[in-house]
Amino acid sequence: MADRRAFLAGLLASTLWPQHTWADAGAPAFLSAGKGPDGTYVLCGLSAAGEMTFHLPLPARGHAAAAHPKLAQAVAFARRPGRFAIVLDCVTGLEQARLIPPEGRHFYGHGTFSADGAWLFTTENDYDAARGIIGVWDTTRGYRREGEISSGGIGPHDMKLMPDGETLVVANGGIETHPETGRAKLNIPSMRPNLSYLSSTGEHKGVLELPEDHRKNSIRHLAMSDSGTVAFAMQWQGDLYEDLPLLGIHDAKTGDLSLMDEASVRRMNGYLGSVAITPDGAQVAATSPRSGRLQVFAQGELVREKTMVDVCGVAATRDGFVSTAGTGHVVSEYGTPTQHPIAWDNHLIPLG
Amino acid sequence: MRILIAAVFAVFSQQSLAQEVDLKAIVGAHILPGYQALAKEAQALSAAAKADCNPESAALLAAYHDAFDAWIRVSHLRFGPSEKNDRAFALAFWPDPRGSTPKTLATLMRDEDPVVKDPVAFATVSVAARGFYAMEFLLFDPQFVDNDNKTYRCALVQAVAGDIAANSAGILADWEGGYADLIASPGNDTFRTPQEAAQQIFTSISTGLEFTSLARLGRPMGTFERPRPARAEARRSGRSLRHVILSLEATRDLTMLLAGDDPDVARAFDTALSRANALEDPVFARVSDPQGRFAVEVLQFDIDELRRILAESVGPRLGIAAGFNSLDGD
Repeated sequence: MADRRAFLAGLLASTLWPQHTWADAGAPAFLSAGKGPDGTYVLCGLSAAGEMTFHLPLPARGHAAAAHPKLAQAVAFARRPGRFAIVLDCVTGLEQARLIPPEGRHFYGHGTFSADGAWLFTTENDYDAARGIIGVWDTTRGYRREGEISSGGIGPHDMKLMPDGETLVVANGGIETHPETGRAKLNIPSMRPNLSYLSSTGEHKGVLELPEDHRKNSIRHLAMSDSGTVAFAMQWQGDLYEDLPLLGIHDAKTGDLSLMDEASVRRMNGYLGSVAITPDGAQVAATSPRSGRLQVFAQGELVREKTMVDVCGVAATRDGFVSTAGTGHVVSEYGTPTQHPIAWDNHLIPLG
Repeated sequence: MRILIAAVFAVFSQQSLAQEVDLKAIVGAHILPGYQALAKEAQALSAAAKADCNPESAALLAAYHDAFDAWIRVSHLRFGPSEKNDRAFALAFWPDPRGSTPKTLATLMRDEDPVVKDPVAFATVSVAARGFYAMEFLLFDPQFVDNDNKTYRCALVQAVAGDIAANSAGILADWEGGYADLIASPGNDTFRTPQEAAQQIFTSISTGLEFTSLARLGRPMGTFERPRPARAEARRSGRSLRHVILSLEATRDLTMLLAGDDPDVARAFDTALSRANALEDPVFARVSDPQGRFAVEVLQFDIDELRRILAESVGPRLGIAAGFNSLDGD
């Protein structure tokens, strides 16, 4: 009887869980969530040239997505304080799993897979304790919740896996929120953001805190080069008359930290939406939808700046950066811009 | 349709200011009088606490209500001097989902912390135990009103009142000492263009209305299955609905100065205000019964409708883009 059950389970797994790869999904270069002309929310695949490779409905407004490194599976997170995330097969559009965080937790809207795709890590809020955590899910068992580790701070937002395949780097934005008060920020006077390096088993390997005058610079979004250089984009929670850089680059191996002065509170309206870094780490791009600017830095210097209404998503390709906007534009630095009837949401997620 | 609207916004945002805004009038007729009133009433509250610190004191309670009114009338102006040294947070720590205010006050009382003796030291106490919402606990909550340690409570009431007065005076001094000129006459490092100044004013109106909808109304409403009347703002002193009305009146005043006589906007404010004034539920206690909840929900809908009109019509007319990402980031 047991054998028969195992056989049936295996049969179900192979039929209901087809192992599609990204090639089957039209080999998209990027994923992005967005809002369609009829007001419904979608998750789309985009080619490097900005053409749409797939287009799937989402039940609510998405924030970021995490892409499985091999299988054509994307985890679409609800915007914070989100209580669910869905795993989509990007070929069939079928929901393969629904992730519900345990009682007392909500998602922040970002997550990342382990290098082999076996594990998914998600940034979450243990809100009654005002403590950031990383949820750990086993993708091989239908995305079962396996446990959680401390994020090393309050308000973890974006998170990336380091090239060693073992270390997670987490942007602890420092801002305490509670679902009872929606997105209201509860601790601005005492906030203290950091960049935490953790092992996937919860061992804290290192932490970067900026100097005291940056206390209200909430570290939110991350990008990682092939060698493990981390570019981090911040959102200023103080008054706009204080002028500080919103973009930093950290190399945990050497301890080098540099801040990009031109990506300033004044110039970028206190708010960076997304950040991207080229695989070789030579160039970093940051966007600000509030100032409608895309900036590109090389060796710590601003080398290009473009204006683009409501620009937010940005990702690196071999040929410069691709950015997306709420206007539906997908603009490659050296290619032909495209426009879709979709207001692109905050992030453009590179695949592979 | 979204694409078309975005394209139109793009055109507007290229222009300097589609409509002239009288920034001097905004500062002179709204912001400065608001902060002058707050500084004056806060000073009066501190004086009343010095004269008689007992929660039964009619003069103290009257001064508390007057000063709190004055704060609510400027509480949407969250930029510049109010944010320096976290003054606004120290004046108004709410919402407080984890109950930090009563916890911190209770710790101060239990330890008889001498920090209350020195105003400079008191300014370093957690913002949860300072400002109007802390004062409300001390004057209205049985945990503190019935506390036997009257001597320490008295010192705490006086320290909180003194701190409120100092922060209110500090905000006013910075406005009068230069910040008013920066926003009234753009072309400086803080406000480079009139459009930037108008954007700041517009943001304070929209975030003020959002706070009223989500926090002041949304918190006590909770969910239909689980209404949460105990979460109403300043319910202990019976001020919950009053804050909604005062804040609507103040944002209406500012909106009229910013947007001129826009009949759609004026009508939307009037609808919300008359609905609020007709609501016979001062602390939203009736959200627990379906009819009472419905009445609050209708008011919330009015305010959300008002926010929509502002975002879709007033913003673009002032050359302020209402983008998908720029107004709703994460």
